[in-house]
Amino acid sequence: MLKRKRFIFVGLIIIVAAGYLGFVGFQSAATYYYTVSELTGQESPAYGQTIRVNGWVAPGSVEQEPGSLTLRFTISEGNQSLPVIHQGVVPDAFKVGNEVVVEGYIDQNGILQSNNIIAKCASKYVPER
Amino acid sequence: MGDAGYIVLLLAFAAAIYSAIAFALGGRGGHPALTESARNGLLAVFILVTLSVEVLVFALVTHDFSIEYVASYSSRDTSLPYLISGLWAGNAGSLLFWAWLLSLFAAVVTFQKRKSGHELLSYAATILMTTEAFFLILLLWVANPFRTMAFVHPDGMGLNPLLENPGMIIHPPALLAGYVGFAIPFAFAISALLTRRLGDEWIVAVRRWTLLTWLLLGAGNIIGAWWAYMELGWGGYWAWDPVENAGLMPWLVATAFLHSIMMQRRRGMLKVWNMVLIILTFSLAIFGTFLTRSGILSSVHTFSESGLGPLFLAFIGITLLGSLGLLYFRRKELKSEAEMESLVSRESTFLLNNLLLVGAAFAIFFGTIFPVISEAVRGVKITVGAPFFNQVNGPIFLAVILLTGLCALIGWRRASIKNLVRGFLWPLAAAVILGISLVISGLREWYALAAFCLSGFVLFSILYQWFREVKARHRIKAENYFKAFWDLLGVNKPRYGGYIVHLGILLLAIGIIGSSFYDVEKEAVLMQGESMSLNNYTLTYESTDQYDTQSKTVVSATLAVYNKGKLLGKLIPEKHFHRNHAQPLTEGATVTEVAIRSTLQEDLYVILISADKNGRAAFKVLVNPLVNWIWIGGGFLVLGGLIAFWPERQRQATPRQPAKKGNRDEH
Repeated sequence: MLKRKRFIFVGLIIIVAAGYLGFVGFQSAATYYYTVSELTGQESPAYGQTIRVNGWVAPGSVEQEPGSLTLRFTISEGNQSLPVIHQGVVPDAFKVGNEVVVEGYIDQNGILQSNNIIAKCASKYVPER
Repeated sequence: MGDAGYIVLLLAFAAAIYSAIAFALGGRGGHPALTESARNGLLAVFILVTLSVEVLVFALVTHDFSIEYVASYSSRDTSLPYLISGLWAGNAGSLLFWAWLLSLFAAVVTFQKRKSGHELLSYAATILMTTEAFFLILLLWVANPFRTMAFVHPDGMGLNPLLENPGMIIHPPALLAGYVGFAIPFAFAISALLTRRLGDEWIVAVRRWTLLTWLLLGAGNIIGAWWAYMELGWGGYWAWDPVENAGLMPWLVATAFLHSIMMQRRRGMLKVWNMVLIILTFSLAIFGTFLTRSGILSSVHTFSESGLGPLFLAFIGITLLGSLGLLYFRRKELKSEAEMESLVSRESTFLLNNLLLVGAAFAIFFGTIFPVISEAVRGVKITVGAPFFNQVNGPIFLAVILLTGLCALIGWRRASIKNLVRGFLWPLAAAVILGISLVISGLREWYALAAFCLSGFVLFSILYQWFREVKARHRIKAENYFKAFWDLLGVNKPRYGGYIVHLGILLLAIGIIGSSFYDVEKEAVLMQGESMSLNNYTLTYESTDQYDTQSKTVVSATLAVYNKGKLLGKLIPEKHFHRNHAQPLTEGATVTEVAIRSTLQEDLYVILISADKNGRAAFKVLVNPLVNWIWIGGGFLVLGGLIAFWPERQRQATPRQPAKKGNRDEH
C-alpha cells in the first residue's frame, strides 16, 4: 500500500506541474478572437491588446507598394469592415475574397496593426460569391 | 459515369451492412457458413469501394468535368500525378479515400487472420464494417464525390497551385492511412471486450498493425512539417495549427499505447489503461478527420464547410461512450496480474512516460478546442497561440526524452543501484562534457543548454547500451563487432528497431531545440546592389528577373551570399503569380518559392516578399539552426519503425511466459 501511495504522490506532482505549466502558458498566449462584425459592433474594442480578427479580404482594398514591406487592406464581413496595416510576409493563400485571420492590435485611429496573417488555404477554389 | 460510381457506392453500403450483421451473428452463434458469407461480403465491400475510387480517378484523368468534384480539383493543365492526387485534394474525395483505405485494411486483416481461425475477428470485422458503413453514409448522402453539375465547366477550375508539390503526393495519403489504421487495433480491443477474451490475444494480434499505423501517421506529420517549411514560405515547420495538432494527438497517445502494451505482455499489467489508450487513439483519429471538415476552428487546412460536423460528432460520441461503457462493465475481468515493485524500475518509467504522453496530448487537445469552450462558456472566442503549446509541451517532451534514456538502462521489476551506476556513468560523463563545450562555444540560455545536455545524455546512453550489447555478443559468440551488431539487429528487431526510433526522436528533438531557440530573422527592403547581413551572412541583392510561362508569371530575385566575406553562392527566391484560366477576371493564386541554403549546421532561408520594376525588393531572411536534423531524425524514425515492424522469423504470437529471464525484451 505504501508503494501505491508513493506512485500516487509522484503522479500528483506531475499533474500539478503540468497544470502550472498550462496556466502560465495560457496567460501568455490567450488571445481574443473576433469576427469583423463582432468587433465593430462592440462599444469599446480592446485598444492596444493583441487580438485576432476573422474576415474576408475586401475587393479593391489591397495596396502593396511594390518592393516594400507594408501592405494595406481592408477585411470585411457583410457590410462591416476594418482597415489593416500589415508589416512583413504575407501568406500565399492571402488573396482578395479569401477568408483570413489577422493578428495584431487596434491603434488609436481604429486601424488594425497586424504582424501576422493566417490565411485559410482553401484546398479548393470556392467561386467568389 | 458519375452515376456508376454512386451506384457502386450504394452497393458497397448494402454489402457493408450485410457483412457487419452477418459477422456479428456468425461470431455469436458460431455458424461457420455465415461467417464465411460475411467474409465474402467484406471482400465485396473492398472490391466495390475500389471500383468507385477507380471511377473517380478515371474521371479525374479523363477530365470528366460534368462531375462537380473533378471540375473543382483539376483542370486540363493539371499534370498526371496531381490529377491522381486530386482524389484526396477535396473533402468528398478524401472521404472516399478514407473509406477505401478502411476497406483495404479490413480485407487484409480478415484474410491475414483467416487461417488461424481467430475468435476475435468476427466482432472486430463487425466494428470495421460498421465504421465503413458510416463513411459510406457520408459519401452517399452528405458529401457525394460523384455529384454532377448541370453546367459543365469547359476546363476545370484546377488544383490550388499551393498543393502542386511532391508533398501533396505523399503527405495526405500517409496521414490518412495513419488515421484509418487505428480502426484495426480499436476493433480488436472492442472485440476482446465483447467476447471476454481479455488476455494478450488482442494485443498480439494488433501490435504490428498499430506500429505500422503509428509509423505512417508519424511520417505523415513529419512530411507535412517539411512541406510547410519548403513550400508555405513562412520559415517555420510547425505552427500548432488545429489540424497539425489533430495529427499529433493520436500519434502521442498511440506512442503511449505501443509502450504500455509491452507492460501487459511482459507483466500482465495496465490492462484497462491499454483499452483506454486505444479507444482514445481511435477517437482522436476520427476527431482529426472531423476537425478538417467541420470548420469549427480556423485553420490553414480547412475544407469548405459542409454538413458533416454533427454526424462526425455523433459518431465520436457513440464510439467513446459505447466503448468506455463496455470497458466499465468488463473492468473486473481486467485485473492486473502483477504489482509495481519499485519506483526505480522499467515499469514505472513506462508508466510515467505514458502519463506524460497522454498529458501532452490532453494539453494539446485543450489548447486546440479552447476557442470552442470559451465561446460556449463566456460567449467570447479566445484562442491560445503557439507560446501556450510550447511552454506546456517543451518540459513534458524533455521529460519523455529523459525517460527514453532512463528506461533503456533500468531493468524490469527492480533495478540494482550497481547496475544503474554502471549504465549511467559514461553517458552522464559524455553529457557533462557536451554541456561544458556548449558553454565554452557561447551558449548561455539555460533552458536550451539543459535541453541539449539532456538529449545528449539520452543519445549517449542509447548508443552506450547498444554498444554494450554488441560487445557482449562479440565476447560470447566470438563474432567480430560488425557481425555481432548485424546479428543482434536480426535477432531482436523490435528492440533494436525501437533503439533506432529513439535515436530518430532525439535527432528530431535536437533539431527542434536548435531551431526554436536560436533562430534569427530579419526583414529588409533593398535596392539593387545593396546588402543586408544576418549572423555571419551578408546577402547582396544583385538582380531581378521576370518571365512568363504558360500558366504563371515568375518573378525572381538573385542574391549573392557571403559568409564573412567569402562567396558561398547565389540564392534565388521566387514568387509565382498563377493565372486563373477558369476565372480570368479574378486574381490568380500566388506561390512563394523560398530559397534555402541548407547545411547540417543551419539553414539560410530567404523569402522574396515583393519586388518592383525599379529594382527595389523586400526580403525576409531567416537563419534556422539544425533544421536538417529534424528531417534526418524523421528518416531514422521511419527506418527504425520498419525494422521493428519487419516480421520476426520465429514465433511471433507466443503467450507471455511467466518471469522469463534473458534479454528478449522488446524495446
